[in-house]
Amino acid sequence: MKQKKKIAWLMIMALLLISVVPTTVHAKKENDDETLIVGFDAEFPPYGYKDESGEYVGFDLDLAQEVCNRKGWTLVKQPIDWDSKDMELKSGAIDCIWNGFTMNGREDDYTWSVPYVDNSQVVIVRKGSGIEKLTDLEAKTVVVQADSSALAAFTGEDATEENKALCESFAQLQQVSDYNSAFMNLETGMVDAICLDVGVANYQVESRGDKFEVLEEQVSSEAYGIGFKLGNDELRDQVEEVLAQMEQDGTFLQIAEKWGLEDCICLKASLEIKESAKDNTTLEADEGTSKKTIDFGLIIKQLSQGMIATIAIFILTLLFAMPLGLLIMFARMCKWNPVQWIAKIYISIMRGTPLMLQLLVVFFGPAFLFGVSGSNQYRFYAVIIGFSLNYAAYFAEIYRSGIQSIPNGQREAAMVLGYNRVQTFGKIIFPQMVKRVLPAVTNEIITLVKDTSLAFALSYTEMFTLAKQIAAAQTSVMPLFVAGVFYYIFNFVVAFVMERVEKRLDYYR
Amino acid sequence: MNVIEIKNMKKNFGDKEVLKNISFSVKEGEVVSILGPSGSGKSTMLRCATFLEKMDAGSLSYMEKEVVYEKNGVFCYPTKKMIREVCGNFGLVFQNFNLFPHYSVMKNIADAPISIQKRDKAEVEQEVRVLLEKVGLAEKENAYPCELSGGQQQRVAIARALALQPKMLYFDEPTSALDPEITAGILKIMKELAAEKMTMVIVTHEIDFARAVSDRVIFMDEGVIVEQGKPEDVIDHPKNERTKAFLKKLSY
Repeated sequence: MKQKKKIAWLMIMALLLISVVPTTVHAKKENDDETLIVGFDAEFPPYGYKDESGEYVGFDLDLAQEVCNRKGWTLVKQPIDWDSKDMELKSGAIDCIWNGFTMNGREDDYTWSVPYVDNSQVVIVRKGSGIEKLTDLEAKTVVVQADSSALAAFTGEDATEENKALCESFAQLQQVSDYNSAFMNLETGMVDAICLDVGVANYQVESRGDKFEVLEEQVSSEAYGIGFKLGNDELRDQVEEVLAQMEQDGTFLQIAEKWGLEDCICLKASLEIKESAKDNTTLEADEGTSKKTIDFGLIIKQLSQGMIATIAIFILTLLFAMPLGLLIMFARMCKWNPVQWIAKIYISIMRGTPLMLQLLVVFFGPAFLFGVSGSNQYRFYAVIIGFSLNYAAYFAEIYRSGIQSIPNGQREAAMVLGYNRVQTFGKIIFPQMVKRVLPAVTNEIITLVKDTSLAFALSYTEMFTLAKQIAAAQTSVMPLFVAGVFYYIFNFVVAFVMERVEKRLDYYR
Repeated sequence: MNVIEIKNMKKNFGDKEVLKNISFSVKEGEVVSILGPSGSGKSTMLRCATFLEKMDAGSLSYMEKEVVYEKNGVFCYPTKKMIREVCGNFGLVFQNFNLFPHYSVMKNIADAPISIQKRDKAEVEQEVRVLLEKVGLAEKENAYPCELSGGQQQRVAIARALALQPKMLYFDEPTSALDPEITAGILKIMKELAAEKMTMVIVTHEIDFARAVSDRVIFMDEGVIVEQGKPEDVIDHPKNERTKAFLKKLSY
């Protein structure tokens, strides 16, 4: 009877794994030569973001798609954490950054295409705030996206003296990770202004209604280009060649108009093509910039997909971390000092440094330390490895506490009865340890459910990352709230299951 | 034949000499009680004899075979594997039972014979039922230790020790954790074992029981054997002053 239940459990676990793994490790089979992996910030409409149907769309992604179509390449749209874009590119995890990428101030850091969008940095304020000129920003709090061109315009090496002085006059220049939180800050009055790209500013103000306005005075004028790894001229030339074709036959302008960016494009000038495009037939500007409405069904449908990724991280981490924790515990309790010390140092590092940092080290470490070229699939493995290594350290200490709480009389009785060390551990100590550590393990498992959101550090698209992207696309906080409900339900189930397990072990004290 | 023979056993805990030169032997079928005040070293002596503590010096033989010895001034202690083999000679009943809480009564008793002595499962289980009958727990084979009273648990512990068919049994204050009325039941079982000529070494505070059941009584104090002999001599007519003082205190 018990055996049957065990087998049933194993089968359920196996089924979950089988159903979960292939969907998360996507885009596995492509030949590298015919794949273009485009890195972009998925919270940066209209250049690249997640639309209501869950697709990654945007001006830049459309351009990339068109280039790939013409080249016969497969396009891989890889959302990245903007702060890690250099590491992503250098490790080879992505081929280029194509996402409203400001060239000014970064001229020597990448191999650039010709500029195709002229973008300026502008300031958004609340309507009726009394801020009309840039000088009115004195002693105000201004927010910019981390590592954005607005930030560079104020504090970068090539920032103008005027902008530096302007920045000095602010009460504070604050950084946020995405524009959705920037607008939440502005709307709630926690900050006074947002400085950002003009294309984004127009899009945001249009979709968020008349609560905000864009100052006429501009902070700076700048251009967007496609950034390739320094020295990768070959790929740059291929892409640029296709862009020139697209400009010539009018496709480029059509795509720009589709996204309402026809006023800012400058590819033609850049390419020194004089032919006028005025007579070209124009596509109607369509839903790309139309007003967003909140659709619960869609949010839930999209988040459910993220939930699968979250569950995959959760189950695989437990599957590896729990046995690994046992090994580390053995090392920690080893009577031979060197082994014990290695385990102690391991636990100390894993518990003493942020999990997010550990994830970054696991993902980018091989590329930087050994020059191993990163791949897109490694993203998922790195998440699992990072989580497993970290949680194993905690599990090891929990197990140890369980074992040390078992009265020594149990070991003595086993010894006198003739059990050897393996038998004593397997038959007497381990089963009792399991019962004793269950409450602490439950705690740890529930923490893991919530910690899965840290996978965003490696731009692995699990539920929380997805929620943030949808929130940015829909300019609403509702997706974040729904994500919270999802996490709560997940943990409710986990707690329920663990309680049942505890009950089943209740037959002895 | 001597089932166990101890010569010049010594044990220190740090600077404290707990056992100073203990020597004694127990013949087949003999019942020996060890008396003495708390801290006299009787439990430590028993733990050294059962390898739960490592003795510091001296020699130890089971069934006339030297297990711990000194050769040319070098102290030779057996390996863990050898100890496990020697442990087959004796059973030990603890003061606080030490049953395995996650095993049923049947499994507590039968697991070691089946998985360590590799005996036939059906045969062992049959024997266990006979043993349970003997200790008066025939109905309890499927119960878990937490469902039993202290006295019942101790009976299971005795059955567990007996199931391995040892040459002798050690008892380490088997009734100290029990009520007086429950104690009587345990002592009755031990008396029956004595009548069956089971070799036993009993550390106890039950003077009357020791007198009734023992062939020989050993009185220990401060790590040495002060006096030993027939129970009527040591208990009723002690010669040593310390034995007298101890027995006098107990009679209050």
